[in-house]
Amino acid sequence: MIVVTGIGWVNHKEYGCIIEKDKKSHEGFNSLHSCFKNESIFLYPVKNFGRFDMISRTTCFCAALALKDAGISYSNDHKHAHKRDMGIMGTNEEGCLESNINYYKDYIDSGRILARGNLFVYTLPSTPLAEAAIHFGLSGPLLHMSFKENKLSSLLGFAKRSIIEKEATAMLAVNAEESDAISFVLENKDDISNKRSLTLENVIFAAEKSSFDEMISALSDLK
Amino acid sequence: MIKVVSVAADMVTSYGWGTDVCWEGLFSGKTAIRPIERFPTHNLQTGNAATVPGLTMKPDESLVMQMLRPLLDKSSIEIPYDTFIILATTNGDIEFVQRFVLDEENNPEKSLPDCLLDKIMLLTGTFGKGMVVSSACASSSIAVSRAASLIRNKVYDCILVIGCDCVSEFVTAGFSSLMALDPDVAKPFDKNRQGLSLGEAAGYMLLMSEERAAKGNTAVMGEVAGWGLTNDANHITGPSRDGSGLYQAIYTALKSAGIAENKIGSISAHGTGTVYNDSMEMKAIRSVFAENTLPVYSVKGGIGHTLGAAGLLEIIISFKSLDKKITPPTVNLFDIDEEAEGWVFPYPQTFESSYTLSTNSGFGGVNSALILKI
Repeated sequence: MIVVTGIGWVNHKEYGCIIEKDKKSHEGFNSLHSCFKNESIFLYPVKNFGRFDMISRTTCFCAALALKDAGISYSNDHKHAHKRDMGIMGTNEEGCLESNINYYKDYIDSGRILARGNLFVYTLPSTPLAEAAIHFGLSGPLLHMSFKENKLSSLLGFAKRSIIEKEATAMLAVNAEESDAISFVLENKDDISNKRSLTLENVIFAAEKSSFDEMISALSDLK
Repeated sequence: MIKVVSVAADMVTSYGWGTDVCWEGLFSGKTAIRPIERFPTHNLQTGNAATVPGLTMKPDESLVMQMLRPLLDKSSIEIPYDTFIILATTNGDIEFVQRFVLDEENNPEKSLPDCLLDKIMLLTGTFGKGMVVSSACASSSIAVSRAASLIRNKVYDCILVIGCDCVSEFVTAGFSSLMALDPDVAKPFDKNRQGLSLGEAAGYMLLMSEERAAKGNTAVMGEVAGWGLTNDANHITGPSRDGSGLYQAIYTALKSAGIAENKIGSISAHGTGTVYNDSMEMKAIRSVFAENTLPVYSVKGGIGHTLGAAGLLEIIISFKSLDKKITPPTVNLFDIDEEAEGWVFPYPQTFESSYTLSTNSGFGGVNSALILKI
Protein backbone atom coordinates (compact mmCIF):
# COMPACT_ATOMS: atom_id res chain seq x y z
CA MET A 1 0.00 0.00 0.00
CA ILE A 2 1.27 3.46 -0.90
CA VAL A 3 1.03 6.00 1.94
CA VAL A 4 1.94 9.63 2.52
CA THR A 5 4.79 10.02 5.01
CA GLY A 6 5.43 13.75 4.75
CA ILE A 7 3.66 16.93 3.68
CA GLY A 8 5.37 20.32 3.60
CA TRP A 9 3.75 23.60 2.68
CA VAL A 10 4.57 27.28 2.44
CA ASN A 11 2.67 30.46 1.65
CA HIS A 12 3.57 34.14 1.76
CA LYS A 13 3.36 34.33 5.57
CA GLU A 14 3.64 30.80 7.02
CA TYR A 15 5.17 27.38 6.48
CA GLY A 16 4.57 24.02 8.05
CA CYS A 17 4.77 20.26 8.20
CA ILE A 18 1.45 18.37 8.37
CA ILE A 19 2.45 15.11 10.06
CA GLU A 20 4.68 16.84 12.64
CA LYS A 21 1.78 19.29 13.13
CA ASP A 22 4.22 22.15 12.99
CA LYS A 23 3.40 25.65 11.68
CA LYS A 24 5.51 28.82 11.78
CA SER A 25 5.30 32.38 10.54
CA HIS A 26 7.93 33.97 8.34
CA GLU A 27 8.73 37.46 7.11
CA GLY A 28 8.46 36.80 3.39
CA PHE A 29 10.00 34.57 0.75
CA ASN A 30 13.10 36.74 0.49
CA SER A 31 14.17 35.87 4.03
CA LEU A 32 13.07 32.24 3.94
CA HIS A 33 16.28 30.79 2.48
CA SER A 34 18.40 32.02 5.37
CA CYS A 35 15.63 31.15 7.83
CA PHE A 36 15.59 27.55 6.49
CA LYS A 37 19.38 27.37 6.72
CA ASN A 38 19.32 28.60 10.33
CA GLU A 39 16.65 26.08 11.28
CA SER A 40 18.42 23.26 9.42
CA ILE A 41 15.44 22.74 7.13
CA PHE A 42 17.95 23.21 4.33
CA LEU A 43 20.70 20.93 5.62
CA TYR A 44 23.23 22.76 3.46
CA PRO A 45 22.94 25.91 1.29
CA VAL A 46 21.03 25.59 -1.98
CA LYS A 47 23.54 26.24 -4.75
CA ASN A 48 22.69 29.15 -7.07
CA PHE A 49 19.53 29.91 -5.08
CA GLY A 50 19.91 33.60 -5.92
CA ARG A 51 19.29 32.99 -9.60
CA PHE A 52 16.31 30.65 -9.12
CA ASP A 53 12.96 31.80 -10.45
CA MET A 54 10.15 32.13 -7.90
CA ILE A 55 8.61 28.70 -8.58
CA SER A 56 11.99 27.00 -8.19
CA ARG A 57 12.26 28.70 -4.79
CA THR A 58 8.84 27.68 -3.55
CA THR A 59 9.44 24.17 -4.92
CA CYS A 60 12.64 23.83 -2.89
CA PHE A 61 11.01 25.30 0.24
CA CYS A 62 8.09 22.87 0.27
CA ALA A 63 10.21 19.89 -0.80
CA ALA A 64 12.58 20.50 2.13
CA LEU A 65 9.63 20.69 4.53
CA ALA A 66 8.03 17.51 3.16
CA LEU A 67 11.29 15.56 3.45
CA LYS A 68 11.75 16.86 7.00
CA ASP A 69 8.15 15.86 7.80
CA ALA A 70 8.87 12.36 6.47
CA GLY A 71 12.03 12.15 8.56
CA ILE A 72 14.17 11.83 5.44
CA SER A 73 17.62 13.29 5.78
CA TYR A 74 19.89 14.23 2.91
CA SER A 75 23.33 15.63 2.39
CA ASN A 76 25.52 16.96 -0.37
CA ASP A 77 27.47 13.68 -0.23
CA HIS A 78 25.07 12.37 -2.88
CA LYS A 79 27.21 13.98 -5.54
CA HIS A 80 29.96 11.52 -4.77
CA ALA A 81 28.05 8.65 -3.26
CA HIS A 82 24.55 7.24 -3.49
CA LYS A 83 21.69 9.41 -4.61
CA ARG A 84 18.22 8.79 -3.26
CA ASP A 85 15.94 6.47 -5.28
CA MET A 86 13.15 9.01 -5.18
CA GLY A 87 11.42 10.68 -8.11
CA ILE A 88 9.82 14.11 -8.32
CA MET A 89 6.63 15.04 -10.15
CA GLY A 90 5.05 18.46 -10.24
CA THR A 91 2.10 20.44 -11.41
CA ASN A 92 0.98 24.07 -11.28
CA GLU A 93 -1.44 26.48 -12.89
CA GLU A 94 0.71 28.43 -15.34
CA GLY A 95 3.82 26.34 -15.89
CA CYS A 96 6.72 28.72 -16.46
CA LEU A 97 4.76 31.55 -18.13
CA GLU A 98 6.23 34.29 -15.91
CA SER A 99 9.78 33.07 -16.55
CA ASN A 100 9.07 32.84 -20.29
CA ILE A 101 8.00 36.49 -20.34
CA ASN A 102 10.93 37.63 -18.19
CA TYR A 103 13.48 35.82 -20.36
CA TYR A 104 12.07 37.09 -23.67
CA LYS A 105 11.63 40.67 -22.43
CA ASP A 106 15.25 40.67 -21.31
CA TYR A 107 16.34 39.39 -24.74
CA ILE A 108 14.30 42.02 -26.59
CA ASP A 109 15.49 44.78 -24.23
CA SER A 110 19.09 43.78 -25.01
CA GLY A 111 18.41 44.65 -28.65
CA ARG A 112 18.08 40.96 -29.61
CA ILE A 113 21.83 40.68 -29.27
CA LEU A 114 22.24 38.17 -26.49
CA ALA A 115 19.77 36.18 -24.49
CA ARG A 116 20.66 35.29 -20.93
CA GLY A 117 21.19 31.59 -20.33
CA ASN A 118 20.43 32.03 -16.63
CA LEU A 119 16.92 33.17 -17.53
CA PHE A 120 16.47 30.72 -20.41
CA VAL A 121 16.92 27.65 -18.21
CA TYR A 122 13.73 28.56 -16.33
CA THR A 123 11.64 28.53 -19.51
CA LEU A 124 10.89 24.85 -18.95
CA PRO A 125 8.15 23.92 -16.47
CA SER A 126 10.31 21.01 -15.30
CA THR A 127 13.27 23.20 -14.27
CA PRO A 128 12.05 23.94 -10.70
CA LEU A 129 11.70 20.19 -10.16
CA ALA A 130 15.21 19.69 -11.54
CA GLU A 131 16.62 22.32 -9.15
CA ALA A 132 15.02 20.42 -6.26
CA ALA A 133 16.29 17.07 -7.61
CA ILE A 134 19.83 18.43 -7.74
CA HIS A 135 19.74 19.84 -4.21
CA PHE A 136 18.08 16.83 -2.58
CA GLY A 137 19.82 14.20 -4.76
CA LEU A 138 16.64 12.70 -6.23
CA SER A 139 17.53 10.21 -8.97
CA GLY A 140 14.08 8.83 -9.90
CA PRO A 141 11.67 10.00 -12.64
CA LEU A 142 11.28 13.77 -13.06
CA LEU A 143 8.35 15.29 -14.90
CA HIS A 144 5.96 18.20 -14.90
CA MET A 145 2.31 17.56 -15.69
CA SER A 146 -0.77 19.71 -16.04
CA PHE A 147 -4.25 18.34 -15.86
CA LYS A 148 -7.65 19.38 -17.13
CA GLU A 149 -9.27 18.60 -13.76
CA ASN A 150 -8.60 17.15 -10.28
CA LYS A 151 -5.06 18.50 -10.36
CA LEU A 152 -3.77 17.23 -7.03
CA SER A 153 -5.50 13.85 -7.03
CA SER A 154 -4.23 13.26 -10.57
CA LEU A 155 -0.69 14.20 -9.54
CA LEU A 156 -0.81 11.93 -6.49
CA GLY A 157 -2.23 9.12 -8.64
CA PHE A 158 0.73 9.35 -11.01
CA ALA A 159 3.17 9.41 -8.09
CA LYS A 160 1.50 6.33 -6.61
CA ARG A 161 1.63 4.39 -9.89
CA SER A 162 5.28 5.32 -10.29
CA ILE A 163 6.08 3.48 -7.04
CA ILE A 164 3.81 0.56 -7.95
CA GLU A 165 5.60 0.25 -11.31
CA LYS A 166 8.94 0.22 -9.40
CA GLU A 167 10.16 3.33 -11.22
CA ALA A 168 11.39 4.56 -7.82
CA THR A 169 10.96 3.49 -4.21
CA ALA A 170 9.54 6.87 -3.18
CA MET A 171 8.09 9.93 -4.88
CA LEU A 172 7.87 13.62 -4.11
CA ALA A 173 4.71 15.20 -5.57
CA VAL A 174 4.84 19.00 -5.77
CA ASN A 175 2.27 21.67 -6.54
CA ALA A 176 4.26 24.90 -6.53
CA GLU A 177 2.96 28.34 -7.46
CA GLU A 178 4.72 31.68 -6.92
CA SER A 179 2.54 32.48 -3.90
CA ASP A 180 2.23 29.07 -2.23
CA ALA A 181 3.40 25.50 -2.57
CA ILE A 182 2.76 22.07 -1.14
CA SER A 183 4.72 18.84 -1.45
CA PHE A 184 3.91 15.22 -0.52
CA VAL A 185 6.27 12.31 0.14
CA LEU A 186 4.81 8.99 -0.98
CA GLU A 187 6.34 5.69 0.09
CA ASN A 188 5.40 2.02 0.19
CA LYS A 189 3.98 1.10 3.61
CA ASP A 190 6.10 -2.07 3.54
CA ASP A 191 9.29 0.01 3.37
CA ILE A 192 8.71 2.41 6.25
CA SER A 193 8.43 0.21 9.40
CA ASN A 194 6.95 2.34 12.18
CA LYS A 195 7.08 5.71 10.51
CA ARG A 196 3.90 7.79 10.92
CA SER A 197 1.85 8.05 7.76
CA LEU A 198 -1.48 9.10 6.31
CA THR A 199 -3.54 7.07 3.87
CA LEU A 200 -3.35 8.35 0.31
CA GLU A 201 -7.14 8.28 -0.02
CA ASN A 202 -7.59 10.61 2.97
CA VAL A 203 -4.88 12.95 1.72
CA ILE A 204 -6.45 13.10 -1.75
CA PHE A 205 -9.86 13.87 -0.25
CA ALA A 206 -8.44 16.69 1.89
CA ALA A 207 -6.24 18.04 -0.89
CA GLU A 208 -9.11 18.69 -3.28
CA LYS A 209 -10.35 21.79 -1.43
CA SER A 210 -10.96 24.96 -3.37
CA SER A 211 -8.43 27.18 -1.63
CA PHE A 212 -4.89 26.64 -0.37
CA ASP A 213 -5.77 27.64 3.21
CA GLU A 214 -8.78 25.27 3.28
CA MET A 215 -6.59 22.46 1.98
CA ILE A 216 -3.95 23.02 4.69
CA SER A 217 -6.67 23.14 7.31
CA ALA A 218 -8.26 19.89 6.04
CA LEU A 219 -4.88 18.15 5.84
CA SER A 220 -3.99 19.33 9.36
CA ASP A 221 -7.17 17.70 10.67
CA LEU A 222 -6.21 14.27 9.31
CA LYS A 223 -5.27 11.63 11.86
CA MET B 1 0.37 -8.13 -17.38
CA ILE B 2 -1.60 -5.96 -19.80
CA LYS B 3 0.30 -5.39 -23.05
CA VAL B 4 0.43 -1.84 -24.42
CA VAL B 5 0.43 -1.65 -28.21
CA SER B 6 0.76 1.12 -30.76
CA VAL B 7 -1.94 1.02 -33.42
CA ALA B 8 -1.32 4.21 -35.40
CA ALA B 9 1.31 6.90 -35.71
CA ASP B 10 2.40 9.64 -38.04
CA MET B 11 4.66 12.69 -38.12
CA VAL B 12 5.68 15.83 -39.91
CA THR B 13 9.35 16.74 -39.88
CA SER B 14 11.70 18.97 -41.84
CA TYR B 15 11.81 16.22 -44.50
CA GLY B 16 8.07 16.72 -45.05
CA TRP B 17 4.73 15.11 -44.25
CA GLY B 18 4.60 11.50 -43.18
CA THR B 19 6.69 8.84 -41.46
CA ASP B 20 7.70 7.31 -44.79
CA VAL B 21 8.98 10.68 -46.02
CA CYS B 22 11.13 11.01 -42.88
CA TRP B 23 12.34 7.42 -43.22
CA GLU B 24 13.31 7.94 -46.85
CA GLY B 25 14.93 11.28 -46.01
CA LEU B 26 17.14 9.66 -43.40
CA PHE B 27 18.07 6.87 -45.82
CA SER B 28 18.99 9.47 -48.45
CA GLY B 29 21.78 10.49 -46.08
CA LYS B 30 20.99 14.15 -46.75
CA THR B 31 20.20 16.52 -43.93
CA ALA B 32 16.93 18.49 -43.77
CA ILE B 33 18.59 21.19 -41.65
CA ARG B 34 18.43 24.40 -43.66
CA PRO B 35 18.76 28.20 -43.34
CA ILE B 36 16.18 29.80 -41.04
CA GLU B 37 13.96 32.28 -42.89
CA ARG B 38 11.46 32.94 -40.11
CA PHE B 39 13.41 35.46 -38.00
CA PRO B 40 16.75 37.30 -38.13
CA THR B 41 19.66 35.11 -37.08
CA HIS B 42 22.69 37.36 -37.50
CA ASN B 43 23.22 37.67 -33.72
CA LEU B 44 22.58 34.00 -33.03
CA GLN B 45 25.05 31.15 -32.90
CA THR B 46 23.68 29.66 -36.12
CA GLY B 47 21.41 30.55 -39.00
CA ASN B 48 20.34 26.94 -39.54
CA ALA B 49 17.54 24.77 -38.18
CA ALA B 50 15.39 21.88 -39.33
CA THR B 51 12.25 23.81 -40.22
CA VAL B 52 9.16 22.30 -41.83
CA PRO B 53 8.74 23.62 -45.38
CA GLY B 54 5.71 25.88 -45.82
CA LEU B 55 5.17 26.93 -42.21
CA THR B 56 4.95 30.68 -41.69
CA MET B 57 4.09 32.98 -38.80
CA LYS B 58 0.36 33.66 -39.09
CA PRO B 59 -1.86 35.76 -36.83
CA ASP B 60 -4.66 33.20 -36.80
CA GLU B 61 -2.84 29.91 -36.41
CA SER B 62 0.30 28.98 -34.50
CA LEU B 63 3.21 27.11 -36.06
CA VAL B 64 2.47 24.04 -33.97
CA MET B 65 -1.19 24.01 -35.03
CA GLN B 66 -0.11 24.39 -38.67
CA MET B 67 1.59 21.03 -38.19
CA LEU B 68 -1.01 19.32 -35.99
CA ARG B 69 -4.18 20.23 -37.88
CA PRO B 70 -3.27 18.59 -41.22
CA LEU B 71 -1.53 15.72 -39.45
CA LEU B 72 -4.60 14.79 -37.40
CA ASP B 73 -7.06 15.61 -40.20
CA LYS B 74 -5.49 13.01 -42.47
CA SER B 75 -5.01 10.44 -39.72
CA SER B 76 -5.24 6.93 -41.12
CA ILE B 77 -7.30 5.78 -38.15
CA GLU B 78 -10.40 7.22 -36.51
CA ILE B 79 -9.53 8.40 -33.01
CA PRO B 80 -12.11 6.88 -30.64
CA TYR B 81 -14.29 9.29 -28.64
CA ASP B 82 -13.09 7.88 -25.28
CA THR B 83 -9.41 8.51 -26.05
CA PHE B 84 -7.39 10.17 -23.29
CA ILE B 85 -4.89 12.66 -24.75
CA ILE B 86 -1.36 13.29 -23.51
CA LEU B 87 0.33 16.29 -25.06
CA ALA B 88 4.12 16.44 -24.78
CA THR B 89 5.83 19.73 -25.47
CA THR B 90 8.51 21.97 -24.05
CA ASN B 91 7.20 25.31 -25.30
CA GLY B 92 4.03 24.64 -27.32
CA ASP B 93 2.60 27.83 -28.78
CA ILE B 94 5.54 29.95 -27.68
CA GLU B 95 4.96 32.60 -30.34
CA PHE B 96 2.10 33.98 -28.21
CA VAL B 97 4.72 34.96 -25.60
CA GLN B 98 6.87 36.53 -28.31
CA ARG B 99 3.89 38.54 -29.58
CA PHE B 100 2.92 39.63 -26.07
CA VAL B 101 6.41 40.94 -25.34
CA LEU B 102 6.72 42.64 -28.71
CA ASP B 103 3.31 44.32 -29.00
CA GLU B 104 1.55 43.57 -25.69
CA GLU B 105 -1.67 43.05 -27.62
CA ASN B 106 -1.88 39.34 -27.17
CA ASN B 107 -2.82 37.37 -24.13
CA PRO B 108 0.32 35.43 -23.13
CA GLU B 109 -1.85 32.79 -21.47
CA LYS B 110 -2.69 31.60 -24.97
CA SER B 111 0.83 30.13 -24.96
CA LEU B 112 0.02 27.76 -22.09
CA PRO B 113 0.19 24.10 -23.14
CA ASP B 114 -3.27 23.62 -21.59
CA CYS B 115 -4.71 25.92 -24.27
CA LEU B 116 -2.97 23.87 -26.95
CA LEU B 117 -4.42 20.72 -25.39
CA ASP B 118 -7.92 22.25 -25.64
CA LYS B 119 -7.39 22.93 -29.34
CA ILE B 120 -6.19 19.35 -29.88
CA MET B 121 -9.25 17.99 -28.08
CA LEU B 122 -11.52 20.00 -30.34
CA LEU B 123 -9.59 18.79 -33.37
CA THR B 124 -9.81 15.14 -32.39
CA GLY B 125 -13.40 15.29 -31.14
CA THR B 126 -12.57 13.24 -28.07
CA PHE B 127 -14.39 13.32 -24.73
CA GLY B 128 -12.31 16.08 -23.19
CA LYS B 129 -9.92 14.25 -20.88
CA GLY B 130 -6.22 14.77 -21.15
CA MET B 131 -3.03 16.15 -19.68
CA VAL B 132 0.25 17.79 -20.64
CA VAL B 133 3.67 16.28 -19.90
CA SER B 134 6.77 18.41 -19.96
CA SER B 135 10.16 17.01 -19.11
CA ALA B 136 12.57 18.93 -21.31
CA CYS B 137 13.89 16.97 -24.31
CA ALA B 138 12.56 13.67 -22.97
CA SER B 139 8.97 15.01 -22.80
CA SER B 140 7.37 12.79 -25.42
CA SER B 141 9.20 9.58 -24.57
CA ILE B 142 8.19 10.13 -20.95
CA ALA B 143 4.64 10.85 -22.18
CA VAL B 144 4.61 7.46 -23.93
CA SER B 145 5.78 5.82 -20.70
CA ARG B 146 2.95 7.58 -18.78
CA ALA B 147 0.45 6.38 -21.37
CA ALA B 148 1.77 2.84 -21.06
CA SER B 149 1.57 3.02 -17.27
CA LEU B 150 -2.03 4.28 -17.39
CA ILE B 151 -2.99 1.43 -19.72
CA ARG B 152 -1.09 -1.20 -17.71
CA ASN B 153 -2.87 -0.01 -14.56
CA LYS B 154 -6.30 -0.09 -16.30
CA VAL B 155 -6.96 3.63 -15.85
CA TYR B 156 -7.53 4.05 -19.61
CA ASP B 157 -7.28 1.62 -22.50
CA CYS B 158 -6.91 4.07 -25.38
CA ILE B 159 -4.48 7.01 -25.26
CA LEU B 160 -3.30 9.41 -27.93
CA VAL B 161 0.19 10.81 -27.33
CA ILE B 162 1.05 13.96 -29.24
CA GLY B 163 4.52 15.50 -29.35
CA CYS B 164 5.25 18.89 -30.88
CA ASP B 165 7.52 21.91 -30.80
CA CYS B 166 8.44 24.61 -33.30
CA VAL B 167 11.58 26.53 -34.21
CA SER B 168 11.28 30.00 -32.68
CA GLU B 169 13.50 32.99 -32.02
CA PHE B 170 12.69 32.47 -28.32
CA VAL B 171 14.29 29.02 -28.21
CA THR B 172 17.06 29.60 -30.76
CA ALA B 173 18.30 32.66 -28.85
CA GLY B 174 18.22 30.67 -25.62
CA PHE B 175 20.26 27.77 -26.94
CA SER B 176 22.63 30.32 -28.53
CA SER B 177 23.18 31.87 -25.12
CA LEU B 178 24.18 28.47 -23.79
CA MET B 179 26.54 27.97 -26.77
CA ALA B 180 24.79 24.66 -27.41
CA LEU B 181 24.24 25.01 -31.16
CA ASP B 182 26.46 23.83 -33.99
CA PRO B 183 27.13 26.90 -36.19
CA ASP B 184 26.71 24.65 -39.24
CA VAL B 185 24.64 21.45 -38.83
CA ALA B 186 24.46 18.90 -36.01
CA LYS B 187 26.89 16.01 -36.44
CA PRO B 188 25.89 13.39 -33.86
CA PHE B 189 28.72 11.09 -32.71
CA ASP B 190 31.20 12.83 -35.02
CA LYS B 191 34.66 13.81 -33.72
CA ASN B 192 34.03 17.37 -34.93
CA ARG B 193 30.56 17.84 -33.50
CA GLN B 194 29.99 21.27 -31.99
CA GLY B 195 26.42 21.22 -30.80
CA LEU B 196 22.85 20.53 -31.76
CA SER B 197 20.65 21.89 -34.54
CA LEU B 198 17.14 22.83 -33.50
CA GLY B 199 14.27 21.28 -35.37
CA GLU B 200 10.50 21.45 -35.45
CA ALA B 201 8.07 18.59 -35.79
CA ALA B 202 4.81 17.11 -34.65
CA GLY B 203 3.82 13.51 -34.28
CA TYR B 204 1.16 11.33 -32.76
CA MET B 205 0.85 7.75 -31.59
CA LEU B 206 -2.35 5.98 -30.63
CA LEU B 207 -1.76 3.43 -27.88
CA MET B 208 -4.22 0.79 -26.70
CA SER B 209 -4.34 -2.23 -24.49
CA GLU B 210 -3.78 -5.34 -26.56
CA GLU B 211 -7.31 -6.43 -25.63
CA ARG B 212 -8.90 -3.21 -26.90
CA ALA B 213 -6.94 -3.38 -30.16
CA ALA B 214 -7.99 -7.00 -30.67
CA LYS B 215 -11.66 -6.18 -29.98
CA GLY B 216 -11.63 -3.56 -32.71
CA ASN B 217 -9.60 -5.73 -35.09
CA THR B 218 -7.07 -2.92 -35.12
CA ALA B 219 -3.70 -3.67 -36.70
CA VAL B 220 -0.81 -3.45 -34.24
CA MET B 221 2.48 -1.69 -35.06
CA GLY B 222 4.34 -2.90 -32.01
CA GLU B 223 4.45 -3.03 -28.24
CA VAL B 224 5.79 -0.65 -25.59
CA ALA B 225 7.40 -3.43 -23.57
CA GLY B 226 9.12 -1.50 -20.78
CA TRP B 227 10.63 1.74 -19.66
CA GLY B 228 12.98 3.36 -17.18
CA LEU B 229 13.11 6.99 -16.12
CA THR B 230 15.86 8.56 -14.04
CA ASN B 231 17.40 11.89 -13.16
CA ASP B 232 21.11 12.68 -12.96
CA ALA B 233 20.50 15.13 -10.06
CA ASN B 234 23.75 16.71 -11.12
CA HIS B 235 23.50 19.86 -13.28
CA ILE B 236 20.69 22.00 -14.65
CA THR B 237 21.81 21.96 -18.30
CA GLY B 238 24.59 19.40 -18.68
CA PRO B 239 24.35 15.63 -18.43
CA SER B 240 26.19 13.57 -15.87
CA ARG B 241 29.58 13.01 -17.52
CA ASP B 242 29.80 9.31 -16.66
CA GLY B 243 26.41 8.35 -18.10
CA SER B 244 25.35 6.72 -14.83
CA GLY B 245 21.85 8.22 -14.91
CA LEU B 246 21.13 6.91 -18.41
CA TYR B 247 22.73 3.57 -17.53
CA GLN B 248 20.28 3.24 -14.65
CA ALA B 249 17.34 4.19 -16.90
CA ILE B 250 18.30 1.48 -19.43
CA TYR B 251 18.76 -1.07 -16.65
CA THR B 252 15.31 -0.22 -15.20
CA ALA B 253 13.74 -0.42 -18.67
CA LEU B 254 15.19 -3.89 -19.26
CA LYS B 255 13.84 -4.99 -15.90
CA SER B 256 10.44 -3.45 -16.67
CA ALA B 257 10.34 -5.36 -19.99
CA GLY B 258 11.57 -8.53 -18.31
CA ILE B 259 14.40 -9.10 -20.76
CA ALA B 260 18.20 -9.29 -20.67
CA GLU B 261 20.35 -6.81 -22.54
CA ASN B 262 21.34 -9.41 -25.15
CA LYS B 263 17.75 -9.37 -26.47
CA ILE B 264 18.14 -5.78 -27.71
CA GLY B 265 18.99 -5.59 -31.41
CA SER B 266 19.47 -1.87 -31.99
CA ILE B 267 19.42 1.50 -30.25
CA SER B 268 17.86 4.80 -31.24
CA ALA B 269 20.08 7.19 -29.29
CA HIS B 270 19.24 10.74 -28.25
CA GLY B 271 22.42 11.75 -30.17
CA THR B 272 22.05 15.52 -30.14
CA GLY B 273 25.49 16.33 -31.48
CA THR B 274 26.67 18.13 -28.34
CA VAL B 275 30.06 17.03 -27.09
CA TYR B 276 28.83 16.04 -23.65
CA ASN B 277 25.53 14.36 -24.54
CA ASP B 278 26.94 12.01 -27.15
CA SER B 279 29.92 11.08 -24.99
CA MET B 280 27.68 10.44 -21.98
CA GLU B 281 25.37 8.25 -24.07
CA MET B 282 28.16 6.10 -25.43
CA LYS B 283 29.52 5.60 -21.91
CA ALA B 284 26.08 4.48 -20.70
CA ILE B 285 25.50 2.20 -23.72
CA ARG B 286 28.96 0.66 -23.44
CA SER B 287 28.43 0.08 -19.71
CA VAL B 288 25.19 -1.83 -20.34
CA PHE B 289 26.13 -3.76 -23.47
CA ALA B 290 29.89 -4.10 -22.84
CA GLU B 291 31.61 -5.80 -25.78
CA ASN B 292 28.33 -6.87 -27.43
CA THR B 293 28.23 -4.10 -30.01
CA LEU B 294 24.91 -3.39 -31.70
CA PRO B 295 23.76 -0.75 -34.18
CA VAL B 296 23.25 2.68 -32.59
CA TYR B 297 21.91 5.64 -34.57
CA SER B 298 20.68 9.21 -34.18
CA VAL B 299 18.11 10.90 -36.42
CA LYS B 300 19.08 14.42 -35.33
CA GLY B 301 21.62 15.00 -38.10
CA GLY B 302 18.64 14.72 -40.44
CA ILE B 303 15.69 16.32 -38.64
CA GLY B 304 17.46 18.32 -35.94
CA HIS B 305 16.57 18.26 -32.27
CA THR B 306 12.80 18.61 -32.16
CA LEU B 307 12.74 18.98 -28.35
CA GLY B 308 9.33 17.92 -27.01
CA ALA B 309 8.57 15.94 -30.16
CA ALA B 310 11.94 14.18 -30.37
CA GLY B 311 11.24 11.09 -28.26
CA LEU B 312 7.94 10.31 -29.96
CA LEU B 313 9.37 10.65 -33.48
CA GLU B 314 12.24 8.40 -32.50
CA ILE B 315 9.84 5.78 -31.13
CA ILE B 316 7.86 5.85 -34.40
CA ILE B 317 11.08 5.49 -36.41
CA SER B 318 12.17 2.69 -34.05
CA PHE B 319 9.00 0.72 -34.78
CA LYS B 320 9.61 1.16 -38.50
CA SER B 321 13.21 0.07 -38.02
CA LEU B 322 12.05 -3.02 -36.08
CA ASP B 323 9.61 -3.84 -38.86
CA LYS B 324 12.27 -3.58 -41.56
CA LYS B 325 15.08 -4.99 -39.36
CA ILE B 326 17.36 -2.18 -40.46
CA THR B 327 18.52 1.03 -38.76
CA PRO B 328 18.68 4.36 -40.58
CA PRO B 329 22.10 5.88 -41.18
CA THR B 330 23.32 8.56 -38.79
CA VAL B 331 23.20 11.59 -41.08
CA ASN B 332 26.14 14.07 -41.02
CA LEU B 333 28.51 11.49 -39.54
CA PHE B 334 31.81 11.94 -41.35
CA ASP B 335 34.56 11.22 -38.84
CA ILE B 336 33.33 8.86 -36.13
CA ASP B 337 34.24 9.72 -32.57
CA GLU B 338 36.44 7.07 -30.95
CA GLU B 339 33.83 6.38 -28.27
CA ALA B 340 31.24 5.54 -30.95
CA GLU B 341 33.46 3.47 -33.24
CA GLY B 342 31.96 0.09 -34.02
CA TRP B 343 28.53 1.20 -32.76
CA VAL B 344 27.40 4.19 -34.84
CA PHE B 345 27.59 4.24 -38.65
CA PRO B 346 26.88 6.71 -41.46
CA TYR B 347 25.08 3.93 -43.34
CA PRO B 348 22.18 1.55 -42.52
CA GLN B 349 22.79 -1.51 -40.34
CA THR B 350 20.74 -4.70 -40.32
CA PHE B 351 19.82 -6.61 -37.16
CA GLU B 352 17.75 -9.65 -36.21
CA SER B 353 16.13 -8.96 -32.83
CA SER B 354 12.48 -8.15 -32.12
CA TYR B 355 13.47 -5.63 -29.45
CA THR B 356 14.92 -2.15 -29.75
CA LEU B 357 15.87 0.52 -27.24
CA SER B 358 15.08 4.24 -27.57
CA THR B 359 16.79 6.72 -25.25
CA ASN B 360 16.40 10.42 -24.54
CA SER B 361 17.99 12.85 -22.10
CA GLY B 362 17.47 16.52 -21.39
CA PHE B 363 17.94 19.65 -19.31
CA GLY B 364 17.66 19.09 -15.60
CA GLY B 365 19.34 15.68 -15.99
CA VAL B 366 16.27 13.75 -17.16
CA ASN B 367 16.82 10.37 -18.82
CA SER B 368 14.35 7.99 -20.41
CA ALA B 369 14.80 4.55 -21.91
CA LEU B 370 11.99 2.69 -23.65
CA ILE B 371 12.05 -0.91 -24.84
CA LEU B 372 9.97 -1.48 -27.96
CA LYS B 373 8.98 -4.84 -29.38
CA ILE B 374 7.47 -6.03 -32.61
